[in-house]
Amino acid sequence: MLGMLRALGCRGPDSAGVALYHSPAGGDLVLQVKLGEKGLSQDGAEAVIAKASALSQPKDVSTTGSYLRLTMEGSLDPVRLAATIESATPDVEVVSMGRCLEIVKQVGSPDRLEETFHISEYKGPHGIGHTRMSTESKVDLSHSQPFWAHGCPDLAIVHNGHITNYHKLRRQYEQQGIRFYTENDSEIIGVYVAQGLLRGLSLEEVLRSAVIDWDGSFSCLVSTADAMGFVKDSFAHKPLLFGETDEFAVVATEEIAVRAEFGGELKVREAGAREVKVWRN
Amino acid sequence: MAELACAGRTIREINAEIRRLLKEGEAVTVSSPGARHNLGVALLESGVVVFDGSVGYYCAGLIDGARVRIKGSAGWGLAESMLSGEVIVEGNAGNSAGAAIRGGALVVQGDSGARTGVSMKNGLIIVTGSCGYMSGFMGQGGKMIICGDAAEAFGDSMYETICFIGGAIADLGNDAIVAESTDEDKQFLDTSLSYYLPAALRGNLPGAGDFKKVVSGRKLWNFKKSEWKTWEQAL
Repeated sequence: MLGMLRALGCRGPDSAGVALYHSPAGGDLVLQVKLGEKGLSQDGAEAVIAKASALSQPKDVSTTGSYLRLTMEGSLDPVRLAATIESATPDVEVVSMGRCLEIVKQVGSPDRLEETFHISEYKGPHGIGHTRMSTESKVDLSHSQPFWAHGCPDLAIVHNGHITNYHKLRRQYEQQGIRFYTENDSEIIGVYVAQGLLRGLSLEEVLRSAVIDWDGSFSCLVSTADAMGFVKDSFAHKPLLFGETDEFAVVATEEIAVRAEFGGELKVREAGAREVKVWRN
Repeated sequence: MAELACAGRTIREINAEIRRLLKEGEAVTVSSPGARHNLGVALLESGVVVFDGSVGYYCAGLIDGARVRIKGSAGWGLAESMLSGEVIVEGNAGNSAGAAIRGGALVVQGDSGARTGVSMKNGLIIVTGSCGYMSGFMGQGGKMIICGDAAEAFGDSMYETICFIGGAIADLGNDAIVAESTDEDKQFLDTSLSYYLPAALRGNLPGAGDFKKVVSGRKLWNFKKSEWKTWEQAL
């Protein structure tokens, strides 16, 4: 993934991030918590640990870059856990939570991401990554991708494009009491998918309904604890191609990322308009 | 055949070197293209260029006379606005392959993406596999042969491009109609497919008589208020 991100880094050098999945370790929830936009805040870290301790004893606490990583009792309610931690200070945001998922992202290149978080040492069945060229919203950590679907453990998305009915959808979700963390249209995707999965739809079904419910242009990758899938808009406005073998599947915006890591043999195909595809572990 | 390695060279340097070699009458093999963009754009010399792997966006755009072979797949905008020449891709092509070509031949030996042949003015596009959404859109001339299936909105709002399709059409675009094939059409298909496709690929294709011919219904060529319904639907 790092090699693929490096190859695409020239396309969008504003920020880089990855959502990485490992096998569930004992059922505990792993949290990556952003302490602030400007590096590590010791006060913030202590405040988060104090808040979390009120629910259960945090384990494996460590800090890297602007992040505090901690493991919490798996039986805790994810929404309540995130809200409790985020009440520590206004800068604190739970960037990811899950039994398998960890998201790290920051402003700057994929190489800087590797320097800070050593993502190449991470081992797991799947992951998604993103390099960003901001067109309409802020360049900062919160607006970087991947996005965790807040409150829904292990669900992460990356998006290239523009959801033009974002404001309409957001208003509907806010009326249901869902909190938004950014002004970025891509954030709606995680919320939408989470709501669909909560209603009992499969990932395939959610992505198929997205083609009807979202306006605009999108090539979007979604991953859960045991699956990864994509959806493309009705007009095939945005690039996304994929290749697969019996052993693995690879998806990228541009083939340059595939060739950088997989050599010349793997065949790839541009996804079609409205195409949805899901792979399971 | 002259060898040109991409590694360590900028796209401008690679393209300048291809042009220099073609001018000297050399055929060029470009090694490890790595799916980089804008390779072989605006080659105004004739001659043979082989990319020994996949290419990125806009490969062989604006060429006039070169014969380009890609031993891999191609990204978006392959051979865009080609004036004359021949572009053959052994794998799949991304969206907008052969957009706005004015001549020459583009052969995709796999599948091609959305908007294949959009706004083509002349020339020939052959796709051995299937083509994506809204292929042939606003085609003004030339011919397009799709041996496999076509996705939705095939041949939408065309002028005088003639399409032949061997597989299924998911859905015809606005003002696209299926017309009767003539003996001349069948002969054209036979000749074109045997000229441009290697025998190994021709084996599994439909016979010339099995292709459907799709052309413009000409209802959208001139605005008539009495046909407002047709326009409303098209827009």
